[in-house]
Amino acid sequence: MERDSFNLGEDMKKELVDVAASKSFNSMSILEDIKFKLHENEFLVIVGPSGCGKTTMANLLAGLLKPTSGHITMNGEEVDPKVHNISIVFQEPSCIPWRTLWDDITMGLQIKGADKKTIEKRGKEVIKLVGLDGFEKYFPKQISGGMKQRVAIARAYATDPDFLIMDEPFGHLDAQTRYLMQIEIMRIWEKEKKTVVFITNNIEEAVYLATRIIVFSKLPARIKGEYEINLPRPRDLTSLEFLKARAEITEQCEVVG
Amino acid sequence: MVSAHTDRIKSVGFNVLSLAVFVFLWALIARWQASPFFASPQQIASGFVQMVTEGDSEGIGLGLHLWKSIIRVFSGFGAACVLGIPGGLFLGLFPWVYNRTRIIIEPVRFISPIAWIPVAIVLLVGFIRYVFVIWVASFFPIFITTLWSVRQVNPININVAKVAGASRLFIIRKIVIPSILPSIAGGMRVSLGISWMCIVAAEMIGGEMVGIGRLILKSAMVARMDLVVVGMLTIGVLGFCLNEVFIRVEKRLFRWRSAVSIG
Amino acid sequence: MEISGFHRIRGKMEKNTGMEKTKTVGYNVLSLFGFLFVWTFVSWLMQSPFFPSPWLVFKAFIDLLIEGDIEDVKLGMHVVQSLLRIFGGFGAACLLGIPLGLLMGLYPRVYDSTKAIIEPVRFIPPVAWIPLVIVLLIGFSRFVFVIWLGAFFPIFIGTLLSVRGVNPLHVDVPKSFGASRMYIVRKIIIPSVLPDIFTSMRVGLGIAWECIMAAEMIGGERVGIGIMILKYAQLIRMEVIIVGIVIIGLIGFCLNEIFILVEKRVFRWKEIVSI
Repeated sequence: MERDSFNLGEDMKKELVDVAASKSFNSMSILEDIKFKLHENEFLVIVGPSGCGKTTMANLLAGLLKPTSGHITMNGEEVDPKVHNISIVFQEPSCIPWRTLWDDITMGLQIKGADKKTIEKRGKEVIKLVGLDGFEKYFPKQISGGMKQRVAIARAYATDPDFLIMDEPFGHLDAQTRYLMQIEIMRIWEKEKKTVVFITNNIEEAVYLATRIIVFSKLPARIKGEYEINLPRPRDLTSLEFLKARAEITEQCEVVG
Repeated sequence: MVSAHTDRIKSVGFNVLSLAVFVFLWALIARWQASPFFASPQQIASGFVQMVTEGDSEGIGLGLHLWKSIIRVFSGFGAACVLGIPGGLFLGLFPWVYNRTRIIIEPVRFISPIAWIPVAIVLLVGFIRYVFVIWVASFFPIFITTLWSVRQVNPININVAKVAGASRLFIIRKIVIPSILPSIAGGMRVSLGISWMCIVAAEMIGGEMVGIGRLILKSAMVARMDLVVVGMLTIGVLGFCLNEVFIRVEKRLFRWRSAVSIG
Repeated sequence: MEISGFHRIRGKMEKNTGMEKTKTVGYNVLSLFGFLFVWTFVSWLMQSPFFPSPWLVFKAFIDLLIEGDIEDVKLGMHVVQSLLRIFGGFGAACLLGIPLGLLMGLYPRVYDSTKAIIEPVRFIPPVAWIPLVIVLLIGFSRFVFVIWLGAFFPIFIGTLLSVRGVNPLHVDVPKSFGASRMYIVRKIIIPSVLPDIFTSMRVGLGIAWECIMAAEMIGGERVGIGIMILKYAQLIRMEVIIVGIVIIGLIGFCLNEIFILVEKRVFRWKEIVSI
């Protein structure tokens, strides 16, 4: 496999988040002994079948849920939204219906107590980043699903988070929009390099986007495999290496258990 | 799951507890007030017993009052269903008729059934009076709900049948009617509640001798506050039970529906 | 003028939608007149004091407006009194119902534990309270209390349910940014529940309107629309009764429409589902 076009080198090794946790709800085990480390500036994709607890993983990483046992720490502390700067893009469109797009995108900045100038500046930057300039005064009911997710992504980027979680953000979009958004995400990631944890059940999407892939099993979820993808970007969906990677990961996912 | 079960028991327990506390406080206030206007729980209990066994000052028992009121309600309610459901169906299937006659329908819909009571007093006598008032009260919720529910039928379901070559009658019988039954049931439940409220008013204004409403008014006139409360509680409990029965039936008949129940 | 290269093969030109609306309004007016016509005809046929013609009703309306009823109380006064009573009771119901509903919605444990007391009371029709109220209270407060009873429960239950109806996603977003509980309540929960509270207020107002009628008829005041109707019922003056009924319907309708209009403007962001 060829080397990636940008040299991740030493950056890849810097550890940001340490995950070693399990989670169960009412004695039903969802995540069992999940251990991995999140490195700075990597695009980590978690792949797994539907309903295997990936959203639970996302919520744990964001600090919205606490692990039943084990820990998820950043810089030695348990991840906590009030302490750390983490952003999450949810699966369903999460635009607040009574806020204009501008108010929605700048909500994170407002909560974190940024001053007016920063909000103005950063808000404008981020709206441009996702390609929604001109739509600031619109209400969510007036825009499409793809646009709503772009709002969520802009909102997530606006606060300049330590890392970003995206929980199957394109799951509710049609196939065409999905392809477009994948390209968009890559473009955005190239412009503002951030650490991203991306969750999906679509293996092609995973191979297209990831620098590293972690495979989750069915419930209760365990880590089944881990892959590094070093293909040059933008990735060719039809290249031999792409198809080989995709085939191998698909095969591992389909293995029972 | 164990914890859900214990939650339920806890909730029931708390309910019983708060009820007991409430009754206790009430008894306390009644004793402190020592006024003939404030009935204590014991008086109410004994009043209830009296009503069931002996009856009120004219010897009419609680059962008879209740029975009369119930018959009136269900007659009017039945009549409203007989007219309201087909009417709503018709106007729902032919919306252009509805759209052109709305100016007559809408204002009438907003006239409180209670306003019709004097009309009923003037024009009718006896049993029919009440049936009429209740009919007015229950007609519109059922009618409007049926009408609206026809509009809400999922066009996809109709198209499925159409593509298979079904006749209009078939579509109505097998697709439209099952689709709208849950909404109609809901509308029926609401109008039953309204009817219940109106019968009490009608009896109070009306001047019959028997009926729950009349009982409450009579007792108030002679300052038998304990009987007043007995009457009120009877209505409340009965209304609650009727509602619950309806909800249970709805839940069973319409198991396929993702339930949204509102009070 | 013929445009070459452009030729309509099929299809009529659709008239613009302005015409459609005018047609509907026109038909409505037509059916109204038709209705009045039929009414006049039937009353002429029947020649009964129980069935007055539209003209008589209109005359009665004017009379009441200008001169007043048998006790010289003008129509305007009746309406104003009834309205005042309603707004007193309705205001009280909102003042108590909304905060309590919010509280019980945010802390469902309290509600679950006190259901045994709330539910049966809720099902006692406000009308059933009237005799009690007649004995215990006097004058204006009578009506305020009965109306409060009628309006309170829809508003309370509606507010409570609206809190439950808050989309958890909308709460998760600010939570993920580390927002305080205060922020979430102020900026997410309250705007979320406002439309539903409004709707339940509208329902409560409707019920209040019904209760006032009953309360006035049973109550024994001198002024008020309900009383007016009852007075004339005892005199068998149907035209006045009909005036009263029509006014009741109209006021109820207007109150409802005002609410809907306000809702539409204030909650422009909502995807409208109308009933």
